[in-house]
Amino acid sequence: MSLALEAEGLVRRYGDRAAVDGLDLAVEAGELYGLVGPDGAGKTTTMRMLAGLLPPDAGAVRLDGEALTIGAGAARAAIGYMPQQYSLYGDLTIDENLAFFGRLFGLPRKARAERTDRLLQITRLGRFRDRRADALSGGMYKKLALACALLHQPKVLLLDEPSNGVDPVSRRELWDLLYAFVEDGMAVVLATPYMDEAARCHRVGLLNEGKLLAEGPPAELVRRFRHPTVRLTVDDRDAAEICLAPLDEVLAVSPEGAALRVVARAGADLDALVPGAEVEPVDAEFEDVFLALLRDPDSVEARP
Amino acid sequence: MRVEALAVARKEVRQTLRDKRTLVVLVIAPLLQLTVLGFAVNLEVEGLPTVIVDADRTAASRDFAADLTAGELFEVVERSPVAADGVAALVAGEAEVALVLPRGFARAELAGRPAPVQVLTDGSNANHAIVARNAVEAFALQRGLQRLRERGAVPTMGRPDVRPRVLYNPTLDSRVYFVPGVAATLLLVVTFIVTAMGLAREKEAGTLEQVLVTPLPPSALVVGKTLPYAVVGMLDLGLVVTAGAAIFDVPLRGSLFLLAFAGALYLLTTLGLGLLVATLAKNQQQAFMAAFFIILPMVLLSGFMSPVPNMPEWLQYATLLDPVRHFVEILRGVLLKAAGWADLAPQLVALGGMGVLVFLLSARALSRKLA
Repeated sequence: MSLALEAEGLVRRYGDRAAVDGLDLAVEAGELYGLVGPDGAGKTTTMRMLAGLLPPDAGAVRLDGEALTIGAGAARAAIGYMPQQYSLYGDLTIDENLAFFGRLFGLPRKARAERTDRLLQITRLGRFRDRRADALSGGMYKKLALACALLHQPKVLLLDEPSNGVDPVSRRELWDLLYAFVEDGMAVVLATPYMDEAARCHRVGLLNEGKLLAEGPPAELVRRFRHPTVRLTVDDRDAAEICLAPLDEVLAVSPEGAALRVVARAGADLDALVPGAEVEPVDAEFEDVFLALLRDPDSVEARP
Repeated sequence: MRVEALAVARKEVRQTLRDKRTLVVLVIAPLLQLTVLGFAVNLEVEGLPTVIVDADRTAASRDFAADLTAGELFEVVERSPVAADGVAALVAGEAEVALVLPRGFARAELAGRPAPVQVLTDGSNANHAIVARNAVEAFALQRGLQRLRERGAVPTMGRPDVRPRVLYNPTLDSRVYFVPGVAATLLLVVTFIVTAMGLAREKEAGTLEQVLVTPLPPSALVVGKTLPYAVVGMLDLGLVVTAGAAIFDVPLRGSLFLLAFAGALYLLTTLGLGLLVATLAKNQQQAFMAAFFIILPMVLLSGFMSPVPNMPEWLQYATLLDPVRHFVEILRGVLLKAAGWADLAPQLVALGGMGVLVFLLSARALSRKLA
């Protein structure tokens, strides 16, 4: 497989604060890469730099091995970008939005019509061609934005929190579409704060405060996770959570039904910490890995 | 680039046609405002509310008051024999002028002594006050001369005989002078604000970002965004000139082509300024505020309200940088004086220079911002 998109040492500062701080990234053709992180981790700044909308303070982005020149037409023709916020013309219809962006990409009329038809068919928006974008539901709107980003058949598709404001059914549709595109060889980079979405990517990068904490296939990250995860059943769940959270030995605590899900440092004695609690070891999940990484950057063993 | 620019222009037109409010701002508002402003900015003074205080109560004093107020200038709203009433009416704002004919007016006139007449005016409207005072003084002089003649003492010594003849605007209709100014201002407001707001709205709505990830060259964006409003601006110019002729009898003596050419140069500056403001503003609100702060001095310095030669010298130089000033001069020249290319060459060159400069600057600022 060939590298479709590569970023090296990306830095972007806002004042004294580095929103993105020395980020390396490599995505292959046919790969679905998830950039995961909490709000404010630097996901959108990274995506904007990858899309060529924001010049990095340091570092470079390469497309197909060629350096991306900010504002260069050729680079833009290779990238499809779907921003997080609303970005289409609400007072234009689905058809008009697609026609407009198709023209901006310089597509000939025939190609435009064919691709529009095909995209409307696979996004199942065909029935609503004459509906204005601001009259669409959240899910339909995102599908239209996706269609607009795909019109020129980009090699790299950048999606910034695509399922934000999308109902579960449309969300599944969106993912089916993504898998189909990736199968055809497109490289997709997707930024998301949702762990369940991240777990569906081929490979993820866990981003916090502008730095990648760990990178790899979600299942492999879970395998390489070195801390034990337990289910803790106590009488007063909330009180136990408040007690455990600040402890150094505890890397992550989250409620799970009536019990608590706790990631503790290897070797920590949870029985002693919460006397009388019922402690049951469980398999770590991707979310546990991520939460623990925020506290301990060495939670994942280096690749063998 | 042409294809993309046209795509942007087409989208712009479609959105505008769909947005009834913008449409109103672009076409109906200028006409309406021209009419309203045209009637409003009228320097002719008439019907000044006047109080006559006739303490003399003689045939002579009544004559004086009646003859003075026979014209259109004064409108008698109150009569009283007490001087204090006149002052009170002025203070209350019920009258702008009080004419006081004190007791002994007729006797003094008959005796050939100076007959005192007092004029009280409300100086808060300086123009009205001056016009009223001058009118009373001129009337008093005429009446004095007439009385001399009646007594047979006809002054025969040589005196200057002034016979004014007014060129271009023989009836001294101030609207003919103002309508071109109103037209230039309207064109400025409409094209400037619509361009600035249009681009700022795209920024705010996030659509600009989606446009910027396409290979669209910035120049195509600039052309596509301004072309439709340039066309609307030219249409507005035509509408306003036609309406000015139809409603206010503003003549059209010069070349229409010259007018259109100057209009195009002028629009280059107004659209360019709109782009510049939108480039620097973060959202529509900022764009609107900035537009307002720029438009106001441009209008005031244009000489449209108060003539440029009345300004302090350093400010007069500053007005040379005001495209509105040059366009108002061109409009007045072409409409009223049939001025030709040669007469207006300095204004055309200034306008063209500024237009190209502003437009290029803003296009560059925009493309730099976009890149």
